[in-house]
Order: sequence, then structure tokens, then C-alpha cells
Amino acid sequence: MPQLRNGVAAAGPGAKALDPRAERDHQAISRLADDLLPALIAKLSASGLGEIEIREGEWKARLRRPAGADRAAPAAAEGHPAPGHAAGRGPAASHGRGLVEERDEHTLEEEAEASANLPIVAISPAVGVYHPRKDLATGMRVRAGDRLGTVDVLGVREEVVAPVDGVIGLSLAEAGEAVEYGQELIRIELPENAHGLDAIGSDREAAAVLGEA
Amino acid sequence: MFSKILIANRGEIALRILRACRTLGVGAVVAYSEADRDSLAAQLADEAICIGPADSRRSYLSAPAVISAAVVTGCDAIHPGYGFLAEDAGFADVVRAHGLTFIGPPAEVLERFASKEATRRLLEAHGLRTIPGSGMLRDEAHALEEAERIGYPVLIKPSAGGGGKGMRLIRSPRELESSFKVSRSEAKAAFGDDSLYMEKYLEDNRHLEVQVAVDRFGHAIHMGERDCSVQRRHQKILEETPSPALTEAARQELCSRAVRAVVEAGYENLGTLEFLVDARGDAYFIEINCRIQVEHPITEMCTGIDMVAMQLEIAAGEPLAISQSDVVSQGHAIEFRILAEDPGDDFRPQGGHVLGYLAPGGPGVRMDTHLYPGYEVPSYYDSLLGKLSVWAPDRAQAIARGDAALRELLVDGLTTNIDLHRAILANQVFIDGKVTTNLLDRVGSAAFVASGDR
Repeated sequence: MPQLRNGVAAAGPGAKALDPRAERDHQAISRLADDLLPALIAKLSASGLGEIEIREGEWKARLRRPAGADRAAPAAAEGHPAPGHAAGRGPAASHGRGLVEERDEHTLEEEAEASANLPIVAISPAVGVYHPRKDLATGMRVRAGDRLGTVDVLGVREEVVAPVDGVIGLSLAEAGEAVEYGQELIRIELPENAHGLDAIGSDREAAAVLGEA
Repeated sequence: MFSKILIANRGEIALRILRACRTLGVGAVVAYSEADRDSLAAQLADEAICIGPADSRRSYLSAPAVISAAVVTGCDAIHPGYGFLAEDAGFADVVRAHGLTFIGPPAEVLERFASKEATRRLLEAHGLRTIPGSGMLRDEAHALEEAERIGYPVLIKPSAGGGGKGMRLIRSPRELESSFKVSRSEAKAAFGDDSLYMEKYLEDNRHLEVQVAVDRFGHAIHMGERDCSVQRRHQKILEETPSPALTEAARQELCSRAVRAVVEAGYENLGTLEFLVDARGDAYFIEINCRIQVEHPITEMCTGIDMVAMQLEIAAGEPLAISQSDVVSQGHAIEFRILAEDPGDDFRPQGGHVLGYLAPGGPGVRMDTHLYPGYEVPSYYDSLLGKLSVWAPDRAQAIARGDAALRELLVDGLTTNIDLHRAILANQVFIDGKVTTNLLDRVGSAAFVASGDR
């Protein structure tokens, strides 16, 4: 069965005692961390651009390679960015990138270390029945954009793709399982980090790290 | 009856359908877009499933997403609510092709009543008076010819339209020449169909509608009428029942004529026939809405009927459980559409964060809303925050209860039209029951609110 929410529990209307503004900020940071950053990092790595900025509402996130980024540039120049640069994790990333988040002109500096534990996952493109690729196995190397499986929507197959270069990690959904739009299906690990699978935090932890900075 | 249905809508109507399911013992799955993850319906539902991103074209308007969600959650029917896919014959057909039931009129019925122009001719043939109008307008020359025959002023209307969108009031041949092409491209952009027709514009008209229900076996009832004359730009903002414009005899005549016509024309399920009533009291049929309507609660308050439950029963193939003599409408009810927009600022829609929310109470007060404190109103959808409905034994008391409830209703953090509603209740034209559809637009809503402050 799909991952359905029995939402009365934690998120009930009465439970929201946080200051609305703080909560809104928290949600924005969460969204940035969960949805936008992994994709953005992948784009930056793949592009060879020096800087990428996106805006959502009153938030913007900017990723910048340091001036004279000697590690990223050669890889990009060769036309196949090294996997390590793809996701902004690991030692290369922590030295290699500055992450800046701004709101209302007040700058909130974020060090790249803060995002070191961001989980990267391939998500479902639609509501339907999930079929992973037959040969998909933990530890397999994939490139950003590789097809990892499909979600069958009334007989039409929508592709599940790898959001970044990396290594197939934990499967979060079973073959033949009904999945909803945006559901997390497969963790993607980064090679340098592959020894530390356990160190990959949950979404919430990652968001909390960002939020406290 | 169904065992489990998919609710393919959002906001207050998703909640309303969920409530009907619970009282009937029918399971319900709420389908939501990413923007509605924190919606009240998604939170209160036993099951909820994300069907797509905020953009409704890829979620609430996506037939594959909606149907796939129903299939994978094991539903046997889909309730489309209002708007979105509610009157889409193609969708209803595909739903059936997947072995599911569309909760609404069957696809052929939706198809038969899809074109407003064809529907007017159909129901005219079954005894309803219609407004003098044109057929499909071929081109500008044809439009000018038809306007001359019908007599100015005329309304240009998109055949595929609804909710007042794309309508244009034309007072002279000159105006017609300057706006015909624009209307056509607007219709194309809004509805994907640029067919236009024209009808005579009735100045100072009232807008009435008759609520009917027809089961698969052709048994039918009407549940009285609603007066929706308080409008701005052809959008209803306050509705009441019964209409202060009709005598009891005129009401019976209008309602029974309406229900007879739709049964003869082969209608099925809940439906609403809309009429314009001119200064002489003559009612002209204008269109039929093949869905549950926003303003259904006032009919429920006066008749005691759960119309959404009735809709499910009809769609499930059950015969109507009551006949016309069982429908007894008592007292008077008024609905206020609470919108996130600023009447003092040309009704600009307002999104934002609900800092505080407090529902009014007391005898005869009903609130249908998806608001809660802390809720973030998404900017992707319409501006309806909820509906406050009040009931009382007579109209004067209903107005008094309405005003008391509006004073109690608190929506903190958003600009709403609550003050406009209070101004309407205090307005002598409204108190006298003489509102016509052009009143708000003629006076100007800002001036209207200001006059209410005095």
C-alpha cells in the first residue's frame, strides 16, 4: 500500500504552537534542504557554472564555487564531473562550496558542513505502482538522470531518475508497491561517503541542522 | 453503497465530502497536491495521497493522476467536488472505463448538458422560458447582425465557460466591434474553445436557482430555490433561501416546472438550474450546473437533507429515499462566502498565513471551512476560505443571526470580505429583499463597505 498519512497524530491543527513566522522559516528551510538543494547541487556540478541561485517566495538559495575551484573545474572541463562533486558532501564539498541563504535582506550564512548529512533520494514522479529497474542493486554506481525504474500510471510508465551521480543506497519502497507523487524511493549515496551509510541523517535531522545555524 | 471513495478536491468541499462519507460509513481517501499537504482534509482523512504538484493541471485537473490514485488505494468511486473535473464528461467516461464510479451525472448526461447553448434549446423544448439569444457566433458580422435582432444591451458568453469567466456586457455596435476578437481569444485561452454566443442582457435582474435531484429511475425531487442575486462581476458572494422575490405560488410553479423539464430531458444526479428573473417576475432559464454547488448548505439547513450523501446514493444506483411530499423547507437561511480578498481594494485576492481562526456559534449557525490557526493559504487556488451559513425561522431573524455570527467570526492574518457581508446585511436594499445582480458593481464595493461603516 502507498505511504499514506494518518495525519491526525503529529501535525494536527492544534499542535502548531510555534511562532508562525519561525515556523514558516523552518518550513522554508526544510523545503530548501529536502527538495531544492540536492537538485541544485547536482545542477551546479553538472553545469560547470560558477554560481547558481534560485528563488522561492521570499527565500533564495545560492550555491557558489569558490574562486579558482581547482577541484571542480577540471572535472567539469573533462565533461564528466566527478561523483564527489555532485552532491556537496564529503571533504571536497565542505571546502569547495559556500552556501548562502538570505531572507528579507538579512543574510544567514550557512557553511557547507551544515548540509553534509543531507539525504539524497530519487522520488516518485507520479502516483501509481512502482517498478524498480530489474538490475538495480545496492552499491551500483549511477549518473544523474539515469533511469532507476518506473511508476506505472494507469499503464503509462513514468521514469524514476537519479537526481545526482552516486551509488545506489537503501531502497525505500518495494517493487509493485503503490506510491504517491513525491514519495522517496531510493537513497543515493556518494562514493566518498559510502562507508558511512549510517551517518546519513533523516530529513528532519538535516533540516534541524540547517535551521539552527 | 460504495465501500471507499477518492475525494478529488481540496478546501472546504473536500472536508464536506469527507463528513458525508463518515456519516454513511463509507471509507474515504483524500487526494491532495503538494501545496495541500497540510490541509485540514488531508490531516483529518483516514487515508490521504499526494497526486501531484501544486499546479492543478498536474494534480486536481489531471485525470490520470486522480484515477491512478483511486486505483492504487482501492477506491470504487471518485467524488470530484465542484470545479476542477466535476463536470468533465471525458473524465467521467475514463473513470467508468477503469471500473470506477463517477459521483455525479453519468458521462452521457454530462455530455448532453455540456454546451450551454444546446442545453438552453433542450430545456426550452421541455417547457422552460429562455433568454432571447443567438446560436454560435460565426464572426463579427454575424455577431452584429444577431445583436441588432435581439436588441442591446447584450452579453457575449463563451459556450464552454462557467462562473462568469469571459463574459462581456456590450451596449452598442461600437463596443461589439472593439471587443469581439478579444472575447474570442479570452475564451480560447481560458477554456480551450473559442465558441461564443450572445444573449439579451436583462438589466436589474435577480439570479435564482432551483436545486433538483434525479435518480437513475427517473424519480425526481426539487429542494426549493436559492437567491444568488448578491454578486460582483457575475460571481456569487451571498446566497439565501427562500428568495424574497418569489411568492409561494411563483416558487412552486418555477420549481416544479424546472424539475419536470430536467427529468424529461434525461438528467440524472444532483443538479441546479439557474434562472434570471426580470423586474416583471418572469424567470428565464440560463444554465444547469451538473455538480454539488458551493451554496448547497442553505438548502440543507432549510430541508434537513444531506445533499452530498444523497449524491453518493444516487451515483451508487440507489433510488431516491424520499419523494417530493417529504421535502419540507422551513425557515430562512443565508450563506456568506468568506473570501481571502480585500473588497476595499477591488477584491484583490489575498494569500497568507492564518494567525488566528475562531468559528462563530449559536443556534442555526454552520461553518464549512478548511481554516485552522497556523494554516498557510496556498496562492495557487481560489480565494474561498469557507462558508458561514445561518438559519432562522424567518428572514429578519436570519439577518440578525448572520450579523451576530459575522461579528464573532475571526480570521486573523488575512484580509477578508467579512466587513462587506456586514455592510450588505445593513443595506436597506438588501433588507427590503430587492437586491439585483448589478447592485455591488454599480455602487462599487469600496463605497459599499464605507457606507456600511457609518
